Amino acid sequence: MALDNQPILFTEDLTIAFGGLRAVDHVDFHIDKGETVGLIGPNGSGKTTFFNLITGVYRPDEGKIIFEGENVIGERPHQIARRGISRTFQNSRLFMDISALDNVLIGMYRKQKTNLWDTLFWYRRVKSELREGAKKAMDLLAFFSGELKENCSKIVADLPYADRKRVEICRALAADPKLLLLDEPTGGMSPEETEELLDDIGKVKEKNREITIIIIEHDMSVIGRVADRVYVFNYGMKIAEGPFSTISRDQKVIEAYLGEETEDAEA
Amino acid sequence: MIIETLFFALVYLFLVFEKTYSILGILASIILLSILINKIDQLNSFLRTSFSKHKKLAVLYGAIFVVGLPLLLRNYPYQIFIIFNAGLFALLALGLNWQIGSTNIVNFATGASFATGAYTSALLAKHTGLPFWILLPIGGLAAAGIGFILGLPCMKTKTYYLSLVTIAFTLIVYLLLNNLNWTGGPDGISDIPFPKIGDYSFGSPIRVFGLEIPFQANFYYLTILLVLVTFIVDRRLRYSRIGLAWNAIRSDEIAAECQGIDVTYSKVLSFCLNFFFDGVAGTVFAFCMSHISPESFTFNVSVTVVAIVIVGGLDNAVGVLFGSLLMTVIPEKLQVFQDYRMLIFGFLILMMLLLRPKGLFPQTVRKYE
Repeated sequence: MALDNQPILFTEDLTIAFGGLRAVDHVDFHIDKGETVGLIGPNGSGKTTFFNLITGVYRPDEGKIIFEGENVIGERPHQIARRGISRTFQNSRLFMDISALDNVLIGMYRKQKTNLWDTLFWYRRVKSELREGAKKAMDLLAFFSGELKENCSKIVADLPYADRKRVEICRALAADPKLLLLDEPTGGMSPEETEELLDDIGKVKEKNREITIIIIEHDMSVIGRVADRVYVFNYGMKIAEGPFSTISRDQKVIEAYLGEETEDAEA
Repeated sequence: MIIETLFFALVYLFLVFEKTYSILGILASIILLSILINKIDQLNSFLRTSFSKHKKLAVLYGAIFVVGLPLLLRNYPYQIFIIFNAGLFALLALGLNWQIGSTNIVNFATGASFATGAYTSALLAKHTGLPFWILLPIGGLAAAGIGFILGLPCMKTKTYYLSLVTIAFTLIVYLLLNNLNWTGGPDGISDIPFPKIGDYSFGSPIRVFGLEIPFQANFYYLTILLVLVTFIVDRRLRYSRIGLAWNAIRSDEIAAECQGIDVTYSKVLSFCLNFFFDGVAGTVFAFCMSHISPESFTFNVSVTVVAIVIVGGLDNAVGVLFGSLLMTVIPEKLQVFQDYRMLIFGFLILMMLLLRPKGLFPQTVRKYE
């Protein structure tokens, strides 16, 4: 599904070590605009670290990260976020003591324009920007669930777990990102909730056909349904790459998961 | 309405009465009231709903009381000074609330920023004769500059260590003020002239309705005006990208950074904005007292302001205003108890933390219409 001749994101030889441990080990990765790529592997195989490298939270020891043709290594997370990369976190790092609406509004921060001067002296601009943002945030929440929109003024800590995950995805989508990184979005969810999330992801892709998604998951049914291609990590290294049907039969991949929960690797 | 009148009467009486028993009595009734309001939910929600129904009237009534208070206190100049002091602390605390309440930066350097504003304007007044009204923003800007200088190294530290850095900063500033020659050393700076508007000097008493109000009221009114401005600024900051960014940083700095928020900029901004208003307060202070010395700018000032924010309510401007009233007036009155003063004060804070640890007025949810 390549719509341009260059991938929107690719990494070359990406490496980072903590102490003596190579968390990510010479990883080559590429994804084209509009693709959805799955990233799987046992716990501790470096998937979240990989996300942290792309988003600038960590700085790699070796290698390149090229986003839209530019090298982004050395940029701080907020600069990378402003390029159009959004993410969710494995353990749902929402801003717990403010409302769901505020959380999604903060997601729009990088797209908004008002500054200190405006806030002090041209407050009307700030007010209208906030109003627009709040409306857009509520529409976004409603897109996933009408009930969520009703509860948007609730403190996030008071929301049920699945709703919190949704709020986090809304927050990530609020700035119309080009690249969306989802880190175990179905973690801790029941089969019904997982099914709802799959629908949500489908809705997102339908609404925004150009959005590029990398999704880390342990639930193979999710990967099988949403991913065009899959990368498999183990001990920080890429051990397999390809469509889900192929890698799920790959011997190395099956071995990597042995000793962990024996997942049914067939879609 | 009745409750407001009762409250205002309590405040007035508390300010005025000197005798031990009456003070104890009023304190006891305040504590009892607070406990009642806390425990009885109906009372709580009744207060809330009746306030929001008659909001405009309540605010108007409050404004009349605030403006008219010096008139009521015209025979008690020291009491007018007390409410002026409360106003100053409100200025300090509103700014600090942006750091402690909104961003979770527990900043103990208010003594230093307060001093910067006071000394900058006092020194400039003596050496250049610039009028008060120009020195007011200059004092604020000077303090904001200090905020920038303190803010940058603080970015390398987290929570508790950051607080330690701010404590050290306050102590350093105090020592500098005490030992440098050009700041006047322990004697400080004297003979700072009163502000003037045209021919009217702030040192002269106010004559209205044939009655005379002591000159401290001039400074009181100026301070109330500044508090109003700061309150509006607080509200604007809260309902803006800046306030939202601060709250994000308070919860989770990394997640905040991943939303495109430049965390360093936001934090340093909170230092500069807080310190600006501290500097303004310092300038007003210097010109009211006519004489400043390092003893007015010790670490105690910082602790008091931090206590006001914590007791009054984190990230809640109304709570902070309330807290400043409480925490400045009560120690003044407790001087009657002499030796037991700090004990009672400590007991009060303890009670507060036990009954309502989030502050008297905890943070509210933002509403967008």
